[in-house]
Amino acid sequence: MPDQAQKNRPATPGGGGGGEGPGSPKVDKPNVDDLLKRMRKVDPDQAKRYRQRTGQ
Amino acid sequence: MTTAIQFGMETEIGISRDSQEDLDVVAESIALVRSAAEPGVWMCWDYAEEDPHADMRGFRVKELRQDTDEANYYAQDAERELSFQEIKSDLVLGNGARFYNDHAHPEYCTPECSTLAELIAHDRAGERILMACAQHMTDEVGSQVRLYKNNTDFMGHSYGCHENYLLPRSLPWDALAQNVQAFLVTRQIFAGAGKFAIEDEDRFVSHGFQIAQRSDFFSELQSVDTMQRRPIVNTRDEPHANPKLFRRFHVIIGDANMSPFATRLKVGTTALVLEAMAREPKRKYPTLAEPLESLRSISRDLNFKWELPLKSNKPSNALEVQFAYLDAVKTLCDLSNAEKASVVADWEEALNDLATDPMKCRDRLDWVAKLCLIADFRAAQNIAEDDPWLRSLDLEYHRLDFAEGLYYGLEQSGAMRLAIADEISAEAMHHPPKTTRASIRGKCVQKFGAAVTSAQWDHIVIQSARGPIKISLLDLFAPEQILRYNAHVDAARTPEDLQALV
Repeated sequence: MPDQAQKNRPATPGGGGGGEGPGSPKVDKPNVDDLLKRMRKVDPDQAKRYRQRTGQ
Repeated sequence: MTTAIQFGMETEIGISRDSQEDLDVVAESIALVRSAAEPGVWMCWDYAEEDPHADMRGFRVKELRQDTDEANYYAQDAERELSFQEIKSDLVLGNGARFYNDHAHPEYCTPECSTLAELIAHDRAGERILMACAQHMTDEVGSQVRLYKNNTDFMGHSYGCHENYLLPRSLPWDALAQNVQAFLVTRQIFAGAGKFAIEDEDRFVSHGFQIAQRSDFFSELQSVDTMQRRPIVNTRDEPHANPKLFRRFHVIIGDANMSPFATRLKVGTTALVLEAMAREPKRKYPTLAEPLESLRSISRDLNFKWELPLKSNKPSNALEVQFAYLDAVKTLCDLSNAEKASVVADWEEALNDLATDPMKCRDRLDWVAKLCLIADFRAAQNIAEDDPWLRSLDLEYHRLDFAEGLYYGLEQSGAMRLAIADEISAEAMHHPPKTTRASIRGKCVQKFGAAVTSAQWDHIVIQSARGPIKISLLDLFAPEQILRYNAHVDAARTPEDLQALV
């Protein structure tokens, strides 16, 4: 099976994410504007309803 | 990676359904596995030769610890009018993989692989097979079935992504268990999948970010258990190979990675460290003074200093420990193989980037990619750090849905370094790795599936006109022997033609 091609993606200039805690990237970041729109559709209570049983 | 160390992964998946509270996840898991449309052999897995009570330290435990919370489900489980085989619903696929209901989760086990390229292709193939099942089931039941390749429900119920490494039995267990401990505790700095919660067994503790999903759930140094009081080093002794020659090192401490780069780095570095130990078992590696405490403190350190005490009382940190293992690999392993050399280069680069600015790794490592993405979203939406929405976004990072999953969104936006081409994962959905015994299992399923009566990692039984033919895979690891077996199965027109392999 052939090796997967690794690609270095172009980075777009951008600042940090802001907010408190560790979530403030200080390096170039990709353009994820479309993905942020996808994130807005995530139900804020989705995880509250998510219940699983212990596995291995 | 042309090494004697072969590997595979077994990943338990979380399952939920829209507008369905109090979901019976066991029933859902069974239904999901049964919705598989991929050709394969159903309910023929041979459990008779499994023994999860056997311990590498030379004894058998009487019983395995079960999670205490599981007792609450006893009555529900006892009422199921299904046989053991029906509950498990094992499916052996034509690509050599195993897909089944492992108690309360759909579990996809990759076939045995000898290269990392094979492994990440088959890991993604498993994701695609699971996605197809979710779509079939959604169409059937009329509400959206959601699958998550993660390790927790944020309420203290964890499920695993285990790795398996085939090692020579000649590597002494005590040396292996002692020497690998610090590596397994510290590799989370690049292999962690990230989590927006602090948990304990069976309970949510608080909000907050940590770099690994599983580090909240380990409380023993070594044991055979996997469901409760999980150990850093699992001692299960089920080689699924000739027990006189091989041992299977069963690693239960890893996170389920969405990033193929992280999977490749996690398994590639672990295989190399094990190769170094097999080559020189007496070499000295860092010894942690407080391995269990360090496991949690590394995961929860929001300054990313990852400090830890060594047994020598010398202060150190996870990066220094990892560099010590990297040095051993560079000194002892044969790195003439291009894939191995590439893993070493990526490992060193990741450690250097983590040392200078961990956020440089947002294009490779799950925990960094998740943290940065959600930090961007927090800033744009002005979300507080204790907002439960963060856990929902965390969950959606792991969603197995190309159109909705956040990790896949990152990959599609070009933000991640290593992307797997669709044709590569499609090939892996239907064809086993050519370099391992999985090719024999997969081809027998493809050609003679209707006649297969029993299957296990180390054998397959096919009914012929003259009786059952049991093909042993116990010792099938030498490349030239795998080629010979493959040629024979390729040429066989009937099950009787396989008699020569007995």
